[in-house]
Amino acid sequence: MSSTKKNSFGSFGSSGSSFGTFGSHEVPDIGEIKPITTEFSQGSVPNSIVRMDRESAWSRWRRGYEIASYVGIQHALTYPFEYRVPLPEGTLPTEGNQPLILGVVQGFFTAGKEFGVHWTGCRVGSILRFDNVTDSTGALASIASITQDDEYWYVQLSGSWSVANPLPPPLYVPNPNGDPIKPLLGEILEDRILTPGGTPVTKDTLNPATDKRYGYVQAILIDVDGPNGILKLQRTSSFEASPDNVYLTPSTKPFSVGRYFTVGTRYACTCQDFSRRSYTFMMNLDGKEKNRFPFTRPALLKYGRHEVLTDPSTGAVNNSAMTNANENRNSSLTFESIDNPGIFNDFGGRYLRNFGASRRAEGPTTFADYTAKDNQITSFSDYWSPLLDEMRYCKHIYALRFEEGILPPEPSDLPFFTEESITEWEQNLVRESSKTNDHVGTANAMRGMALMDVPPKNFQSPQLLPMMQKLLNVPTSFIRLENFRMQDKTGAFYNPSAGESPAT
Amino acid sequence: MTDFGEVIETRYILSEAQLAASQFGFSEVYYSGSPTVYSPGDVVHLPYASGETSTMQALGDAWAAYASGIGPG
Repeated sequence: MSSTKKNSFGSFGSSGSSFGTFGSHEVPDIGEIKPITTEFSQGSVPNSIVRMDRESAWSRWRRGYEIASYVGIQHALTYPFEYRVPLPEGTLPTEGNQPLILGVVQGFFTAGKEFGVHWTGCRVGSILRFDNVTDSTGALASIASITQDDEYWYVQLSGSWSVANPLPPPLYVPNPNGDPIKPLLGEILEDRILTPGGTPVTKDTLNPATDKRYGYVQAILIDVDGPNGILKLQRTSSFEASPDNVYLTPSTKPFSVGRYFTVGTRYACTCQDFSRRSYTFMMNLDGKEKNRFPFTRPALLKYGRHEVLTDPSTGAVNNSAMTNANENRNSSLTFESIDNPGIFNDFGGRYLRNFGASRRAEGPTTFADYTAKDNQITSFSDYWSPLLDEMRYCKHIYALRFEEGILPPEPSDLPFFTEESITEWEQNLVRESSKTNDHVGTANAMRGMALMDVPPKNFQSPQLLPMMQKLLNVPTSFIRLENFRMQDKTGAFYNPSAGESPAT
Repeated sequence: MTDFGEVIETRYILSEAQLAASQFGFSEVYYSGSPTVYSPGDVVHLPYASGETSTMQALGDAWAAYASGIGPG
């Protein structure tokens, strides 16, 4: 690679080893004669193609693979949990099985980052089953019929639906104070349940009658028409496990009539790439504290949203990352406002989205891509699509998917312009992973875990609570520390809130 | 002597020592603890019996309570 020098606009964005830091970039040294690599109309962002390559979904995909295969998932930081969904006040639990959400929070040691660890959450799939969705007569909501246009499928669910008897919560939640809430928007739906109460099929399940695989289709839920019982799902980014046991995207066929939906695996991460935020770092893992008050350059202030966590009894702001397992906090959301210069360096990059099937660009993201009520996010609409734009999987989520053996489809936006060969580009990633591993392994042992507590004690920290809300998809007030049961190495569950500890 | 095109026996006959060394898949595996509950496609409490609160219903109850200003119990 040619010699470079740092951009004289300053190192906004962190200069960590991760490529996912928005903003920082290098400019070619103009001391030598070189082809022009800048573009017009790109403002102060020279060589924006290089930057775009680095920010591409492909880079995340590839880097996830590097992390999974070289650095490895550090199982010392794997925290499987069971979340007992709290019942509303005044509701008594029923007999038998209680509602649960199973998941895992995985820590990724991270070089040069505040708190030293990024936490990635995975909620296992199939926890929500549409054979548990009934209309007022008790009829089950199977897939009755499907119509489609270029971009969407419109799925009619079985049952009698009307304004008086719309689809039940959480699909469609009537709201006395305004528009109905649709918390499941953005979830991945899969037609994997063949019969009520049946085990969901996997991509390998054979139909004994035909000796062929059943296969299934998954797509993102875009909208819910409650009074008519219609779900709108994104066809363009759909995904099919075909009878040949391969994944196809977009799917070649719609959902199968007569089956029941279930939800897919859901991920969320605290990293600045997933959250589209760049935290202000006051120290790094080397212990070289920058010792400065975090600030955002006024020119970089953007519209965005941020959370403020407060003590429920005193109302005092409590942003500490180390806490005990009994301290629940209130979260209030400030949204559609200028970002918080004291906490976030940057809310992240804006990027162009993929083209839809209608060849109409989806346009840049807005920060109004969610709805909120009483300062809490009630739905997201930043949808996942496996090509270029998604509820954007970061490298940590890709690493988990590689580790799970679900090789995500290789994004189509392979870097098309680099100053070195693509082989060298990949080798750089490998070298970077190797270097990061060596560095973090030692540095983190010294102080990384001293900066932030581990799950579930950090779940109510400002870094994790928004992530847990996204992951569990319950109102933030329903995320209670006493409802987490963590699984220890023997497989037993313990309750940190009651002072229980894992087996030694 | 075989002619071209004839089907011949191609299976390699393993010796006793080779057979013993290839018994990997049949040997007893020792492990302790339980594997992490962490696999996509896992199913929680399947199926919910009639009368039980499913996760779907619990999530719906939580959001409905939230919309009405009711907190967790």
